[in-house]
Amino acid sequence: MNTGSNMRIGPFEVFYPMGAPAPQLRHNGDHNLPGRLFVVEGIDGSGKSTQLSLLHKWLESKGYGVVFSQWNSSELVKDTTKLGKKKKMLTPATFSLIHATDFADRIERSILPLLKAGAVVLCDRYIYTAFARDVARGMDRRWVRDLYDFAAKPTVAFYFRVPLETAIGRLVTGRDGFKFYEAGLDIGLSDDPTESFRLFQGRIVEEYEKMIPEFGLTVVDATLPVEVQQAQVRQIVKTHLERAKDLRVRP
Amino acid sequence: MRQTYGKLLPGMKLGDLAGKLIVVEGTDGAGRTTQINMLKPWLEELGHAVLDTGMTRSHLAGEGIRRAKEGNNLGRVTQSLFYATDFVDRLENEVIPALRAGFIVLTDRYIYSLMARAIVRGMDPAWIRGIYSAALVPDAVFYLRLDVEQLIPRVIFSRGFDYWESGMDVFPGQDMYENFRSYQAALLAEFDRLSVEFRFETLDASADTKLVFAQLQAKVQRVLEADSRRTYLSRMFEQAPSSATHREERAVTLPRETSTRDHDWAFHPVAANLSPGNGRNMPEHK
Repeated sequence: MNTGSNMRIGPFEVFYPMGAPAPQLRHNGDHNLPGRLFVVEGIDGSGKSTQLSLLHKWLESKGYGVVFSQWNSSELVKDTTKLGKKKKMLTPATFSLIHATDFADRIERSILPLLKAGAVVLCDRYIYTAFARDVARGMDRRWVRDLYDFAAKPTVAFYFRVPLETAIGRLVTGRDGFKFYEAGLDIGLSDDPTESFRLFQGRIVEEYEKMIPEFGLTVVDATLPVEVQQAQVRQIVKTHLERAKDLRVRP
Repeated sequence: MRQTYGKLLPGMKLGDLAGKLIVVEGTDGAGRTTQINMLKPWLEELGHAVLDTGMTRSHLAGEGIRRAKEGNNLGRVTQSLFYATDFVDRLENEVIPALRAGFIVLTDRYIYSLMARAIVRGMDPAWIRGIYSAALVPDAVFYLRLDVEQLIPRVIFSRGFDYWESGMDVFPGQDMYENFRSYQAALLAEFDRLSVEFRFETLDASADTKLVFAQLQAKVQRVLEADSRRTYLSRMFEQAPSSATHREERAVTLPRETSTRDHDWAFHPVAANLSPGNGRNMPEHK
């Protein structure tokens, strides 16, 4: 154990057989990696996925190496999440933990290595989704934030702000009914799925609003025309690309 | 009153957890499972309902973890969190309902093993402790301790070296023997640290299996005779707690067949609503 070391953290004396934990895995820190990480956040129906997909096409047309990562998509973990949702086995705590596990797999095996390689990484939903949903389910605010300590800090996190009624209007026309967890039916706000969805998403919006100053989220008015929003997003993204000398460009 | 290590999960109530939570810890190959397999029938013979549980046995994540470990692409953060998911699923849906029904819960490993494994893999100790801050403080932790030198022959001549037990994901190189030694030594060092911090009762696991079992029996008995349990039993059987100080005596006073149906339930796993899904802990929102 020649790399081992001792140090104190709070009341604990701590032994690191492998040396101290990698700094980029702690405290949502600036990752200082050559890549760029852009994430979109907002409630369902805010139009964030449309905006991200437009950004994706634009970046590719400019020749950047762009990689897209979706919430809840880890090959190792998603079957477990599906099982939990299908059988309605998830409590607020296990809902939180299994999504953190999924995110961890994507961070470890995809997002961090890509950022090291100088890619532009686009994430549809990021840790703020977990913060909003888990706290809306009654999890402790501090606990959930500490849980995601290993996440890389985004270059820019866009929050697509939309009035709840507008988002619900966009959703009810596009689909039939809401899913159990999506509508927050697991926490018993209302037996009516649409009403439960409304109440649950309302809580999520409250959490997002608190996070704007806490994490410096970049707010986009999602009631504006798609083109106007996209122009704003590209304008902001552009400034972060110009300063990046090490960004990987497609061959 | 039962406590957690600092946090409460939504809907978690600790007021009426009458059972006992007994942890058996130790490194790989220390004989934990063997001992639990002996403790369980012994306790049942005495008339106690027993739930035994252990890592990766959750309905939610057990299968997923097994599958993820088949490959070689399970990262250290992901691994730590997958195990935490498994742990919390069992905590909320098995352990707490069983304790509420007055069961003795025997758990093969607990948060300490999970913390040790994560810390040895370079995770921030404060981070992993925070995740497990909602775990219940057990009534006792029996730590079966074995030196690496004593452990190696047990492993080699029983099941051989395992990829994860050899820390192949932690240490560089392909030498399974060297990695096994380094990994198990690091785990042991961490366990020894935790044993002080969390006040484990350490047993020498190199001793004869029967001797270790006899020591465990004596220690478990002391846990069962602790005050809260006696109050609980006296309530169940409307008996003065002072009359049940002796184990044999109490074993006689708990006849499973002759007790009335009213309190019989607490000693029958089936009647105590412990079927999967029955004790699901839904949060109660204000």
